[in-house]
Amino acid sequence: MPGRTRKETPLKNPDRPYLALGLEGSANKLGAGIIKHLEDGSTSVLSNVRHTYITPPGEGFQPRDTALHHREWALKVISDCLSKAGVSIHDVDCICFTKGPGMGAPLQSVALVARTLSLLYNKPLVGVNHCVGHIEMGRDITGAQNPVVLYVSGGNTQVIAYSRQCYRIFGETLDIAVGNCLDRFARVINLSNDPSPGYNIEQEAKKGKRLVSLPYTTKGMDISLSGILSSVEAYTTDKRFKPEASLSDQEDIITPADLCFSLQETVFAMLVEITERAMAHIGSKEVLIVGGVGCNERLQEMMGVMAQERNAKVFATDERFCIDNGIMIAQAGLLSYRMGFQTPLAKSSCTQRFRTDQVHVSWRA
Amino acid sequence: MSASQNLIKSSHLVSQGAEAASRLSFPCLQKYQCPKVYKAHLTPDSPPLLLKYRFQKQYRHPSLDVNLTRSRIAGEARALLKCLRSGVNVPGIRMVDATEGVLGIEWIEGQSVRKLLPGESEGDDEGEGEVGEEPTDEEKLDALKEYGVSIDQLMSLIGTEIAKMHLADVIHGDLTTSNMILRRPSSSSIPDIPTQTQLFLIDFGLSYTSSLIEDKAVDLYVLERAFSSTHPDSSLMFTGVLAAYQKKMGEKRWGVVKARLDDVRLRGRKRSMVG
Repeated sequence: MPGRTRKETPLKNPDRPYLALGLEGSANKLGAGIIKHLEDGSTSVLSNVRHTYITPPGEGFQPRDTALHHREWALKVISDCLSKAGVSIHDVDCICFTKGPGMGAPLQSVALVARTLSLLYNKPLVGVNHCVGHIEMGRDITGAQNPVVLYVSGGNTQVIAYSRQCYRIFGETLDIAVGNCLDRFARVINLSNDPSPGYNIEQEAKKGKRLVSLPYTTKGMDISLSGILSSVEAYTTDKRFKPEASLSDQEDIITPADLCFSLQETVFAMLVEITERAMAHIGSKEVLIVGGVGCNERLQEMMGVMAQERNAKVFATDERFCIDNGIMIAQAGLLSYRMGFQTPLAKSSCTQRFRTDQVHVSWRA
Repeated sequence: MSASQNLIKSSHLVSQGAEAASRLSFPCLQKYQCPKVYKAHLTPDSPPLLLKYRFQKQYRHPSLDVNLTRSRIAGEARALLKCLRSGVNVPGIRMVDATEGVLGIEWIEGQSVRKLLPGESEGDDEGEGEVGEEPTDEEKLDALKEYGVSIDQLMSLIGTEIAKMHLADVIHGDLTTSNMILRRPSSSSIPDIPTQTQLFLIDFGLSYTSSLIEDKAVDLYVLERAFSSTHPDSSLMFTGVLAAYQKKMGEKRWGVVKARLDDVRLRGRKRSMVG
């Protein structure tokens, strides 16, 4: 590299292979994964198992029922994960769990499982910030070095850049998360929650043609989404709104597909815009999309066009790593474990409020 | 071909967003919604002017893009005019072509505040083509000396300018240290008369008019966040900005803005609510 020398990374290559079990359950996905860090500094994913709690159309997932789901499935998912990886729980170095942010009840039920395993097998615990898990997994899979991160999911919407051992939040949503906005609209027009409401919005949007006008609400580096949701919901009571839309094209009608299309176009344009501004501000040439909404191909496409316009590269992952999973918790947890971090049992509580910028990223220069 | 496009053709591309900015003579023109920025001359002898060309964003739906572009160009021109009338240091307007998405403004010779303050966030570690090194913190302090101001004075210039703008009920919408230029003392429009170093606010693409306390407080909050994310350990500097802002606004107006700013700081999700 010309000029400035890259600072040496504080993370040394391990003297032996390390294994970590990661447990995730901050929302309606229960995930378990085993990651292996090798002596040459490479990582390999041994297994990545997930089970999703799916509710009927028109309903969201309640914390209580979600926690119940996690409790029912925890043993099955973990033993599946261990047998797929072909390792015994005695072999793992640490047990990583999501400390937050997320829904309280599901978080607690998974943390309880983690604590129990830790005591049973005498393994150290590592509490992980969910957002940092997404970022670290995205970096590992895509090989992006120092990207601006757009983290978009059902519970989070943030534009993040790394600086001085901290993932700093450049911009974020001031009210609801983008995934929440899409999911809630899916419920309004009664789309199925299987495999996920966001996925069904995306499919529906492909059929939409008409762009209805919605608010475009960027506020500084932040965005606001709740007004857009109200505004797109209001169109469903519009006289021109026709839920059964196999009519001819000439008529002045608005179909659910049109609304999905308009909602995606507007909201994603805002996200891409604030990401672009963050990139311009810190002069980065890489952008990484993580989080459940990151699977959306339209968002990836728009980000790609923006990146091309400014000679930058987009990194995105597929649903295995985008959507909440256990392996990302294992990855971020093992990184901090190798730096000597452990969560003592007495401090292994969870928290619903745990910002990305509260984590000391000791493993990066 | 329209007159605006002819003008663009004859001019010199300075930057597109932050890209390549550090290598060129006018590095403050980082911009975000990323208009391309050109240096142009209307006639061969006329002073240079700066052209901002908001080209079509391919990622955005065309009709959404056209509406946004048009309203931002018009909004920017309106805000600049309003600021000029109220004596805020902003570049003068030379031409507006909203249909083509071109805005021509006065050329200001100087350096962006972001480049003059220590503690740059580590940019692109990839380093490909990044030969135009970021100056070190010491070089930046030296550069600042050339302008004859200390960091404290610079902060107070920033606070005063923002207060003047807010007194005119203009909300910038995107206050960052990249959007402020320190003008070179020698480069005033009238040669031979040495002028004081002046701070200019630029890039009013997201600005609007409002007299609401809320909007002013958010404006300040955006700047505070920009400070802390680009210049770590800068909380003292920002205090300096606020002190000057307070002085210019007057105690009464400042009191309400301050109260709201404290409110706004608590926004954002997942904050710890302890204590």
